[in-house]
Amino acid sequence: MISNQAKKQIDVWVAKYPIGRQSSAVMEALKIVQAENENRLSADIIQAVADYLDMPSIAAQEVATFYENYNHKSVGKHTIRICHNISCMLNGADDLVKYLEKKLGVKTGKVTKNGLVNVKKVECLGACVGAPMFQIGEQYYENLTKQKIDEIVDNLK
Amino acid sequence: MNEVCFKNLDKKKCYSLKVYEQSGGYSIWRKILKGELTPEEIIDELKASGLRGRGGAGFPTGLKWSFMPRNASMQKYVVCNSDEGEPGTCKDRDILRYNPHAVIEGMAIGGFVMNASVGYNYIRGEFMEPFKRFEGALKEVYKAGLLGKNIGASGVSFDLHTHLGAGAYICGEETALLESIEGKKGQPRFKPPFPANVGLFGQPTTINNTESFASVPEILSQGGQWFADIGVENSGGCKLFSVTGHVQKPSNFEVPMGIPFKDLLEMAGGIKKGRKLKAVIPGGSSTPVLTAEVAMEMTMDYDGIEKAGSMLGAGSVIVMDDSTCMVATLTRLAHFYYDESCGQCTPCREGTGWLYRVLKRIMDGDGKADDIDLLLGVSDKIMGNTICALGDAAAMPVESFLRNFRPEFEYYIKHGKSMVKG
Amino acid sequence: MADIEIEIDGNLVSAKAGEMLIAVTDREGISVPRFCYHKKLSVAANCRMCLVDVEGAPKPQPACSTPINEGMKVHTNNEKVKASQKAVMEFLLINHPLDCPICDQGGECELQDVAMDYGSDVSRFSEGKRVVVDGDIGPLIQTDMTRCIHCTRCVRFGAEIGGIMEMGGTGRGEDLKIEPFLAEGIQSELSGNMIDVCPVGALTSKPFRYELRTWQMNSVSNIARHDLTGSNIVTQTYKGRVKRIVAKDNDSVNETWISDRDRFSYEGLAHENRLLSPQIKVKGEWREVSWDEALEFAMRGLTDKVLNTGEANKLGALASNTATLEEFHLLQKLLREVGSENIDYRLNIKDLENTVTLESNIKLAGLEGVDHVLIIGSNPRLEQPMINHRLRKASLSGASIDVINVMAFDFNYQLNSENIVTPNQIAFMLAEVLKLILQASNAEIPEALSKIEASDTAKQLADRLLDADNSVIILGEHMVNNPQASSIAQLINEIAQQTNSTTLNISATANSMAGDLTEFVPGKKGLDANAMLATGLKAYILLDVYPHFDFHHPAQAIKALSKKDAFVISMNSFKDEAVAQYSDVMLPIASFYETSGSHINIEGKVQSFCASVSAPSDVKPAWKVLKVLADLLQLPGFHFANSMQVTSEISNQGHKQNVSNKKLDIKVKRSVNVIWQKSPYAVDALSRHASALQATKIGQMHSASMNKATAKKLEVAENDNYLGVPVSIRESVANNCVFVNTNKPIRGEL
Repeated sequence: MISNQAKKQIDVWVAKYPIGRQSSAVMEALKIVQAENENRLSADIIQAVADYLDMPSIAAQEVATFYENYNHKSVGKHTIRICHNISCMLNGADDLVKYLEKKLGVKTGKVTKNGLVNVKKVECLGACVGAPMFQIGEQYYENLTKQKIDEIVDNLK
Repeated sequence: MNEVCFKNLDKKKCYSLKVYEQSGGYSIWRKILKGELTPEEIIDELKASGLRGRGGAGFPTGLKWSFMPRNASMQKYVVCNSDEGEPGTCKDRDILRYNPHAVIEGMAIGGFVMNASVGYNYIRGEFMEPFKRFEGALKEVYKAGLLGKNIGASGVSFDLHTHLGAGAYICGEETALLESIEGKKGQPRFKPPFPANVGLFGQPTTINNTESFASVPEILSQGGQWFADIGVENSGGCKLFSVTGHVQKPSNFEVPMGIPFKDLLEMAGGIKKGRKLKAVIPGGSSTPVLTAEVAMEMTMDYDGIEKAGSMLGAGSVIVMDDSTCMVATLTRLAHFYYDESCGQCTPCREGTGWLYRVLKRIMDGDGKADDIDLLLGVSDKIMGNTICALGDAAAMPVESFLRNFRPEFEYYIKHGKSMVKG
Repeated sequence: MADIEIEIDGNLVSAKAGEMLIAVTDREGISVPRFCYHKKLSVAANCRMCLVDVEGAPKPQPACSTPINEGMKVHTNNEKVKASQKAVMEFLLINHPLDCPICDQGGECELQDVAMDYGSDVSRFSEGKRVVVDGDIGPLIQTDMTRCIHCTRCVRFGAEIGGIMEMGGTGRGEDLKIEPFLAEGIQSELSGNMIDVCPVGALTSKPFRYELRTWQMNSVSNIARHDLTGSNIVTQTYKGRVKRIVAKDNDSVNETWISDRDRFSYEGLAHENRLLSPQIKVKGEWREVSWDEALEFAMRGLTDKVLNTGEANKLGALASNTATLEEFHLLQKLLREVGSENIDYRLNIKDLENTVTLESNIKLAGLEGVDHVLIIGSNPRLEQPMINHRLRKASLSGASIDVINVMAFDFNYQLNSENIVTPNQIAFMLAEVLKLILQASNAEIPEALSKIEASDTAKQLADRLLDADNSVIILGEHMVNNPQASSIAQLINEIAQQTNSTTLNISATANSMAGDLTEFVPGKKGLDANAMLATGLKAYILLDVYPHFDFHHPAQAIKALSKKDAFVISMNSFKDEAVAQYSDVMLPIASFYETSGSHINIEGKVQSFCASVSAPSDVKPAWKVLKVLADLLQLPGFHFANSMQVTSEISNQGHKQNVSNKKLDIKVKRSVNVIWQKSPYAVDALSRHASALQATKIGQMHSASMNKATAKKLEVAENDNYLGVPVSIRESVANNCVFVNTNKPIRGEL
């Protein structure tokens, strides 16, 4: 359920916390294992992480459902996380969401037919001076325009 | 401008150890390692500097550090709050990207002062670029032998780790952040006990904002009085302001406290062409909104903004021009708090959703005449009754938007459409 | 902590510094509404209902999490407080369904009660209410999570008391949902307490669902007799039936908790398998008769078979360990009056010359104060849940706990060491420990120990006992049939004396302490249970005995009891095929809660109870049956009008178990040892007939665990039948050991 490589990565995080506090690493462990499983978590995966970190499964499940960055349903290969909070909204984020939906032919929350992309409206990502903005993977894209979106999205593979 | 956290902003590879050290970086830390500075001296300088917590609460940093039971034998922790998530705020991201070493040195100094040999920097999960920058900087310092156990046989130990968030605004609340480092849901703890007594892993802990830590080394290098003199009475030093929204050149500005708002607006290129200033949220989405008239008279310091009827918060100045529909804007903010409530305590869990639903109904054209009273009533019932400040943060915008822009709401309820957008 | 004075609503009140305000108001009888606060759980401060006004504080403060300090002035019912409490109440109610009329909690709902005082009759909330989809969390607890107010008492109960976090709060904000991990269900042996702590109708008793409103029932205090605690309970009855059981507070016994077994076993009372009328066997055929006829028949049988022939010594009495103190007393008195001392309740022990006699000399509440525990041969969590709860509390306050067991069990606290030892080696290991302890005090080493070279494990165990100031050694059920049982008990006794440890003997359960106290054991001229069956008596009186479950060798016992010339009187509360096979008279007797009597718990506390309901149909309390039988036999001294008169006849001098002085046997033998145990919900007839309990995972426990090497030796594989029980191969079992845990009648021979 958890690859050896993932275990190694998790262990790096575990080492940051005092002995016996390995469950501190659960947030990263879930991310690491999620990345290995088509970017989504299942009950089995959560259970495996909980077992690996010797913590109650329900405690891992609490974490997995509390934080925004875990997926419990299928997502695209790329998730476009577009900010729609105040500074971005003032700079036209809502229009860009509509533009993205039209361009990709899917509503937010749904995955494109080819499984490549889904759009998710998110709260403030802390890049308000670059509004409007979105995040794909680890990368922030700021000062978005429709033209810029075309360039970015068309290059997603 | 750009005297403290952004000191090296114009230099190439400003985030590197080399550049940081060339401009005097780690000189305080090296002094500490040589035994040339005492915790008391540092606390005195910080108190003199007038540095107040840059995360939003504005608690004097020197005082906070003095609360730690530094002589108690148990493990103590120093924690940096880089979970920047307050809408309108994006300064800590730039500090982490462009001056990570100032944060590291600030934390190390804090660790020394409070006799805490371990620190954690909690960086929000989405900040992968800043996280990698910070990790890179950490590697450099460890390699340079500036961190670790019994550093250079000085008897001083300090280990610093990062912890990544995973998407929860509430983790910016310091006790929720501690819970999160412990691998739990980010649910704020009730106080007392305060973190200085029972904090991370149950041990005494001090939590400061990224900007606060990053300011410490320069303050100690230049002297507390130097810093205090940059600012005004009761608001020492300079401060990062994120100016966003309807301005020509949104940006982060490190400027002296007490600068008039209109000057700051001008630095950001002023309002977009052909538009007029309508409203300003001066300290991030949780702080009360101000009308243009009030804002234009305001100075950007703790007392100045409070006098204007709001709060300095994290220094996140959200500027709105006359094309802004205040109903839509408040609805968006209400949605944010509804989405981000941790759900732990009753008024916030139940109240934020109620506020949002009433506003959404108004936006959908189904508003009722008594909805404004209802909104005021609900926000009043959340206010002051919750475990943490998120409840208040959700309630305050409602009250201030309705107080300052009530006719827009009445219009929307009556006509089922926006007075501004039509 | 020093006493200080604070002012509450204008009155001076003294309290201890650092105490939470709510503890003070509760003590003073000042009403402060609350939902999340529970005196036995950690403070959560999340419901915000207990907000009060503390002078000087800008915001209202929750009484549950506000420590008091000198001079504090508090208002619990001024306008500010009322406004806050009303506000919280309004928020709690907006998403709470208005389904009180169909809610099982109706009438005992904390939300309903507080809403009467603080709620508003008209809701300003016109949006849609939250609906939560329920998962099935098991046979005991019914969930209606739409009613949940997120107080997290159940979550905290699991994490803090149950010792396993089973419930959690998933999601966040308005979507916060209290649930177990993906509905895998709740498995704690204490889970039913979540029903008691839930302030609303979100968690209710599943067997009780839609049965009755709480105000329709009578509440009668009673004592649970399934284990050595004697938990205090309240039986709630309606029209002569027990409909529900809830915990009753008694800090020195069960605090505020009860085990699931105590809570849900009552279901068995209404089982169709109850024996409801007296029957006699005439020419091999069972015939239902009147009590008069049945007792007459029984009396005649005894008279003809043994009394008139001068063979009183051919009469024996055997009883199950769930008998009441009074039943034990009357039956042994009857036997002794007619001149027989063939009396025994120890039916499950192979060698009654070699038993684990060891006294218990620590109080239940005392257990939580120990700093070290050594457990030998027990899985206390499932066997003695409330004793285990005290041990868990000791562990949480820092006690170290060492275990010597034949297999690894799921403890709900941290163990210092868990030593999995082959049954044949346990005596030797204890001998090693004893030797080390004697050496440490420069005491003389007895000859038997002289050749021992102590292992590191023994050294660590000994060191712990020597270091501890207040340790307890616990002897468990798994040792009762150990070939070196009496040596094990002797060694423990000696180790305890040398280290000033207390001892706790939990090797027998239910009301066995009463069996000892009433001397329901053979007298000097009497035979023990095994000897009676081996010799073959001419008449027996059996009190609630179910041979397949109660005897260590059922087949032999049944064979002995079925002998043609043996006259068997069986008093049972449930029907049983084997009983019907060997008996000549079957007398239906009252089960738990249908009779008055007494239970003696592990600390010797006598707890008497009245009948909560009368027994069904023609069923009579056993004490009455025994009294009438004695009267018919014209025996003196049975003029009892009620069971209390019986109780007062029994002198409670406490029963001291004299440790055997048999020669110490610590020789390690190499044979396979079978430890046979009834699964936790099969310990007595009532539990076995409680359908919800039987449907739980614990109720379903039925396996013969052994490791690979043992399986190879016995030539069995996973899921094969071994002694009629499916084999489960796991390495957590000691070598040369089979640990059988069964919920079924024993078919195989040991």
